[in-house]
Amino acid sequence: MNSLKGKKTRVIIDSGRQAITGIVTGFQIAIREKGFSNDNITGIIINGNVTIPKDCITEIEVVNPSKEWNNGQSKNITFIVTKDCQLACKYCYLVGKNTRERLSWEVAKQAIDYVLSHEQDFQEESVVWDFIGGEPFLEIDLIDKICDYIKTEMFRLNHHWFNSFRFNFSTNGINYDSQKVQEFIKKNRQHLSIGITIDGTREKHDLNRIWKTKDGFSPKPEEEKGSYNDVVRNIPLWQEQFPGTGTKVTISSADIKYIKESVLHLYSLGIHEVNINVVFEDVWEEGDDKKFEEQLIQLADAIIDGEYYTDYTCSFFSENLGKPLDKKLQNQNWCGAGRMLAVDAAGNFYPCTRFAQYSLRDKKAWIIGNVHDGIDKNKLRPFLTLDRCTQSKQECIDCEVAEGCAWCQGENYDAAESPTVFERSTAICKMHKARVRANNYYWNKLYRKLELEGIAREEADKHVKKSNFQEPC
Amino acid sequence: MTKKLVGQVTVEEKNEIQQLFERRNGLTELAAILTPEKEELYEKLVKDMGETGTKFQGWWDSMAKKYQWESAENGNWEINFETCEIFLVTP
Amino acid sequence: MLQYLMILLDDTSTSYCHYNNEKSESKLISIEDLKAGIFFGMTENLMIQYVYPSHALPAEYEDVLESIDHSKIMPADNPNVDEADVVVFNDWKQMGGFSYSEDVSYVLRINKSDLFEQKELIADTIEKVTKLNVVITDVETFSDEDFDTYKGVLQLWSEKLEQLYAEGKSPLLNLLTDRMQLEEMNNCGAGESNITLAPDGKFYVCPAFYQTNSDTIISPAFNAGSLEEGVHVKSAQLYKLDHAPLCRKCDAFHCRRCVWLNRKTTLEVNTPSHEQCVVAHLERNASRQLLANIRKHGQFLPQQEIKEIDYLDPFDVKEEW
Repeated sequence: MNSLKGKKTRVIIDSGRQAITGIVTGFQIAIREKGFSNDNITGIIINGNVTIPKDCITEIEVVNPSKEWNNGQSKNITFIVTKDCQLACKYCYLVGKNTRERLSWEVAKQAIDYVLSHEQDFQEESVVWDFIGGEPFLEIDLIDKICDYIKTEMFRLNHHWFNSFRFNFSTNGINYDSQKVQEFIKKNRQHLSIGITIDGTREKHDLNRIWKTKDGFSPKPEEEKGSYNDVVRNIPLWQEQFPGTGTKVTISSADIKYIKESVLHLYSLGIHEVNINVVFEDVWEEGDDKKFEEQLIQLADAIIDGEYYTDYTCSFFSENLGKPLDKKLQNQNWCGAGRMLAVDAAGNFYPCTRFAQYSLRDKKAWIIGNVHDGIDKNKLRPFLTLDRCTQSKQECIDCEVAEGCAWCQGENYDAAESPTVFERSTAICKMHKARVRANNYYWNKLYRKLELEGIAREEADKHVKKSNFQEPC
Repeated sequence: MTKKLVGQVTVEEKNEIQQLFERRNGLTELAAILTPEKEELYEKLVKDMGETGTKFQGWWDSMAKKYQWESAENGNWEINFETCEIFLVTP
Repeated sequence: MLQYLMILLDDTSTSYCHYNNEKSESKLISIEDLKAGIFFGMTENLMIQYVYPSHALPAEYEDVLESIDHSKIMPADNPNVDEADVVVFNDWKQMGGFSYSEDVSYVLRINKSDLFEQKELIADTIEKVTKLNVVITDVETFSDEDFDTYKGVLQLWSEKLEQLYAEGKSPLLNLLTDRMQLEEMNNCGAGESNITLAPDGKFYVCPAFYQTNSDTIISPAFNAGSLEEGVHVKSAQLYKLDHAPLCRKCDAFHCRRCVWLNRKTTLEVNTPSHEQCVVAHLERNASRQLLANIRKHGQFLPQQEIKEIDYLDPFDVKEEW
């Protein structure tokens, strides 16, 4: 299988070739007959499977690179700076949060030194230095020191990442306007990406995203205090500093009934991209799929009738969803675990943060090395050989609506019968199918509306803002 | 302020200026935290800033010559890294 | 499909594979569990293999053991080793002066350092036995330098085998002759074609998951049921070849694909380590050369073909698969 990703952006296929097949990720590509102009484009593929038949002299050209930074061809290196957070969100998958495990400067420095001194093992063109928690901005002093060191060292070592790096944060937004965070933003503005999580309306947000007690525990139901006010006050400043940045919304069983109003509420706050997904854990109750579908159809009606589709996105609706997947050509793994690297306070390396002990309910941490001994490449082999079909049940392989059905490798591992990443959890199956039905409704309704307005389907792209969001893994 | 589409560069050309743009931003932010006391590194930074600035301007000069983009007094060109399009921006 | 039932008669029953038995205190399987295990084997139509400790068993076990057709795997220092079908040398020093039998298979468990030093002893043993299985107990520690040394060792044994085959003899050395005869994967089969009954009355994927203790490797997930509940291998699909991405297209057919060693090195039972793959491919390539060399002396396995390949670790060419 040839992946076009990372290869030359222009591929000429000789007539003598049997066929070229490949998976397109992070690109839109146009297929046109060789020698003809853009008017002769015979098809456009967005994030999908390419098969060009024999004898078809064809030219493939990237026409619209993904908006994802550097087409997603970057290494993610994650510092788990703290396992503490001000909140005790009910759906939080981090079962082992605590106030004790804070990344020290010494460990962070060792991790950076290891990564930067092994340039041959990290050949990705770009790097995203990720900071997560708990709540990362609780450790803003440490983060500031780490970022200064990273910049200085990349420059001193003439590391190729100095030309292409970002610092990325997912925050609950509570400390966003603090002086220290604002100074940090000012200092690193050109290399920052910050996402604030707000779940929707006050009611929806406060249902899950509640303050923990002063003693650091989840409060009793009668003592719960939501965090909506403490976050929403920072949204204007955030959107001013990072215009166009989307927010990430997580849906659990109790949240389903708030989906429509929450998405519309986020639009009203000036957030144009709502990246939303259902949790991967097995939390779904009987009838949730029906309720979910109803909410999404109501949301579809609201987005289309209110013509939000021209300038707002909601990642629940995607054209690349709900088709069968080819066993060979579309067999790639969904998740990037193993291609990322996470480090925690103990100095251990993980294939992604979801494999650290504080993220796991029933399994032991999957440690792939540490800052002293480096990375044990053998422990990455399973991740780098993992494909869709090998980890899927036959019903998933045969599924008629498999496309877009996501999974989290860490949750798969945690939920598996034995300690393996080769066993896909199907807890979201009925929710995915409900989403597909609502998604079909959305696009059929939208295209019909545009058609009635005199906009042909091939022209529709100019009138519809599309989401680039991929379900988190 | 007006913005007018005046041309387009190739993906390779765009990559070249994007890399220089990223480097220039990196150097600028680094300059804010490096002090002259770190003599060797500071000198390396100053030298690099000069070289990168020259290459950056050189790219615009050579592309403008190659494509003969429309220009205007007090105007400047902008590139959209997503589309490779060049815009003339005038006050 | 299960075909074999391995019954560990004692906690100190010998290892016959890559792992070292970490249990040092004797604990016999109870007569009741032994009987129940045999009954299970009979009802499930399984071939039974008893794995013996170094010491003799109490007399009352004899009748029970003999109540079913079986094979005996014994350590070389068991007082009744002359009854064994498979004799295990846990130390190469046990081989000196040993009285070999044509009807018995021999297993030599040896670490790489001893293997490199005792290569001549092993070469000499090849002509004394019908079948010798060499099991390297620290494959995971091989370095690039060790791979080179091992290549030379295989060359030495290959020359010896060629000479013996030219003389009309046909001794078997697993590392070189197995691959010559195989046309498909023939691996250990733990968790798929065989299951282990331990002295605690429980089933395990293989003896290593009972007789070793490492926290990072061993998990209750490798318990595979009990005599009361029957066999239940968790995540059973992982023990099948089609669920091993690196192995299912590999043609190092003789590789043990040791699930315990896989678990130890990569944390997944279906994924071999780099070292395991390279060692198996050095053996595969040496087998290919041996096949060609034996054919210089006359027709030999005419239907067999081992292709030339340009990699030693399938992981390095996984994109092409």
